Amino acid sequence: MFVIVLAEALGLPVPAAVALVAGGAAAASGVLSVYRILLLALLAMVIGDTLLFVAGRYMGWGLLGFLCKLSVNPETCILRSAESFYKRGKATLLFAKFIPGINTMAPPLAGSMKMPLDTFFRHDVVGATLYATVYIAVGFLFRDFLVSVMRGFQTAGRAVEAVTVFALIGYALYRVWLYRKHAVYRVVPRIQVEEVTRRLASEDKDKILLMDVRSHGYYDAEAARIKGSIRIEPNNLKDELKNIPKDKDIFVYCT
Amino acid sequence: MLREEGFNAFVIVGGLAAWRKAGNPLEPVPRDDLVKLPTFS
Repeated sequence: MFVIVLAEALGLPVPAAVALVAGGAAAASGVLSVYRILLLALLAMVIGDTLLFVAGRYMGWGLLGFLCKLSVNPETCILRSAESFYKRGKATLLFAKFIPGINTMAPPLAGSMKMPLDTFFRHDVVGATLYATVYIAVGFLFRDFLVSVMRGFQTAGRAVEAVTVFALIGYALYRVWLYRKHAVYRVVPRIQVEEVTRRLASEDKDKILLMDVRSHGYYDAEAARIKGSIRIEPNNLKDELKNIPKDKDIFVYCT
Repeated sequence: MLREEGFNAFVIVGGLAAWRKAGNPLEPVPRDDLVKLPTFS
């Protein structure tokens, strides 16, 4: 259980919640101590989260992009997680583990946003305790129900296997469809620096808008930007776009 | 997202690094832009 919980805390797609429920059920059966399970789960989550926090502090949004690579839409993956932090601040860490996607992104985001380590640690421990307690309690309280469900699965045998396989195939096809639906927007037209410079020196210059879309992680007191460009907060794009004219060509850049 | 919203958007190849390497003009980030940036420090 420790390994599974640690793996999920480090960003791997493993079902730690299932392991915690199983741990709770084992505790209800007297096989394991509930306090030991809780402690091991806490330890695994805090270790994993702290590693990602530190990595986020030093690697910034590059790490977030890596963690979001498996997502259907990596940009949305990062922005959705960041939006939660912008709206709720450090309180996000208290419930982040319950939200798929944000659970892995919250610690490195906190690190990249320069959250003090002691503040992160406090909030992360509370959040991890809440998460572990809820799922262990589910396993503990509903042990009998879970046992009967498992017996039912064993009885149903082949039928359950077939349904599970079809469900997995259906889910995989859905993900492929979702990926292809967003793929059309992955092919964004590109423009060379020389062409931008040429157009800025021509009569076209009033029809051009240079847009800096760097995240805050690359935008500090010593930062510079392309002369004449404007910054758009990538995590608040929908609101920012209301002020952008549609009759201009927009040239976007980051680091 | 820009193109989804109907904007004619392009990405500058190489970004700021390529712009800087080409010797094109830069300017410091305005101070009021920095104030808006959310951090916990």
